[in-house]
Amino acid sequence: MFKQIQNWFDERIGLTKVIEEFNGERIPRRGGWAYTLGSLLAFLFTVQVVTGIFLLFYYVPYFPIARNATYFLKHHVIFGNILLGIHLWGAFTMIFVILIHMARVYFSGAYKKPREMQWIAGMVLFSVVVVLGLTGYMLVGNENSWWTINVLTNVASHTPFIGGFIREIARGGTETSVLTMQHIFAVHVWLLPIVVIMFIPIHLFLIRKTGHQGMALEYKNSKISEDDEKRWLKPDGTVPFFPDQFYKDMIVSLVVFAVIYILAVYVGAPIGPMYRPLALNFAPEADWYFLANEEILKYFPGHGLIIFSTFLIPSIGFGILFLLPFIDRTKERSPFKRPAATVLGILFLLLLVYLTLIGGEPKAPATV
Amino acid sequence: MAKSSEESPSRRTFMMVVIGLISTVIGIALAVPILGAVLNPLFRKRDIVWTKLGKISDLNLKPLNPKFVPVYFRVKEGWSVNTLPRQVVVVKQVNGDLLFFSNQCTHLGCPLHWIAARQKFLCPCHGGMFNVTGQVVGGPPPRPLYQWVHKFGNDKDTVYIQNKFKDNPKDRGI
Repeated sequence: MFKQIQNWFDERIGLTKVIEEFNGERIPRRGGWAYTLGSLLAFLFTVQVVTGIFLLFYYVPYFPIARNATYFLKHHVIFGNILLGIHLWGAFTMIFVILIHMARVYFSGAYKKPREMQWIAGMVLFSVVVVLGLTGYMLVGNENSWWTINVLTNVASHTPFIGGFIREIARGGTETSVLTMQHIFAVHVWLLPIVVIMFIPIHLFLIRKTGHQGMALEYKNSKISEDDEKRWLKPDGTVPFFPDQFYKDMIVSLVVFAVIYILAVYVGAPIGPMYRPLALNFAPEADWYFLANEEILKYFPGHGLIIFSTFLIPSIGFGILFLLPFIDRTKERSPFKRPAATVLGILFLLLLVYLTLIGGEPKAPATV
Repeated sequence: MAKSSEESPSRRTFMMVVIGLISTVIGIALAVPILGAVLNPLFRKRDIVWTKLGKISDLNLKPLNPKFVPVYFRVKEGWSVNTLPRQVVVVKQVNGDLLFFSNQCTHLGCPLHWIAARQKFLCPCHGGMFNVTGQVVGGPPPRPLYQWVHKFGNDKDTVYIQNKFKDNPKDRGI
């Protein structure tokens, strides 16, 4: 019976061949667990899309109502707390895993020729996911959302020349209003997910096109000289993607999903109080992934320097990261044989962790 | 029958030009209404209203002791008329003059806390500090506190506030 169905499809579209083509891709075998991060991200994104779609059954993008709709979803809808919790913790996990994925690619030099475009596509995905996180934070409609919208649109307003226009377009007017929420909603639910859905296949296609090259340790026994680009085409050993690599992907996905699920059930998504524009003793807080940026905003006093913290440092930092493969054009891949890049990467990570830790400290006494 | 592109290079060029033109026309035709929808806020006039704040004599102001008074602007926002609640910080100076500040930090717009023990406004987000007359005394804010546009009624006691800041050409921090 099953065989007949398979034959029916094969006669018409050659389905088995397509699946074999896709699953039979050969993967370097030594670093299998390190290569599960990309699949994990694809899995996490799917979870975000699925939970997000069903959150929309209850959500209303209107400022005074949004927070109450979210509250209703969490407290009065059966298992609504789990659905919302998975969406929140899934988002946090996704941003965290992207950072690990990027670090892995950076330290193993996997962004080097011929894989520059993969890094660029990955950076697009990274920036879009961070903006998805920020807009999701705004959509809850609680007190933090209100002030985050105000603060971030004000940060954008310091962009040279067009800053004021950007803020006005984002807010839908001079002030944060019903239109602001509607814009954020459209961006979070339609615009950016579509960008992600478009760029994941591009990212994947480019990997297949250049071949799975893997880390330097895949080439320990290679006899081709390190300066020769051909060296990076023949790893010592390979395994088929299905089931060898897929099996590892599934195990990692299950472990991470279990952690997200436990966090969703036992910690859940905090909703917080209704927004109060009249608040006298409220101290807005950013999510953990924005704290490093938040910390930079505290420095550079005065009219002349404010552009450093709001525009120059974040955009130059991001620009360097974005164009990394064109800045570091050496051929060496092993992290031990390019100490400058490795040390710089570790220092950058330490700086990020340090800024995040001090960025989370309370900045002013809420009340004295 | 028309020649195929393989038979005639000039026909091939012609086809490619037509493909390009059609794409451009459709692209522009779609971009115009989309740009209109996105850029629309830039062409909207802001709804500016006068709103009664209250009587100064009711506030029992003491010199250099700020009072936070809420004001509720009814303004048109997009398709709806909404209430914008905002704080007006009324400060009576030593010579009796009144100042009407916004409680939003001039750095990035967070709500200021009045710390009575230190006689300062403190921003809880990035540590900006202002003294009671609105001047920056610490942290990153680029300018003194915003002052609401205000006027007195005929009795010289009732104050009306406009949802607009004085001396704010770029409409920052509303």
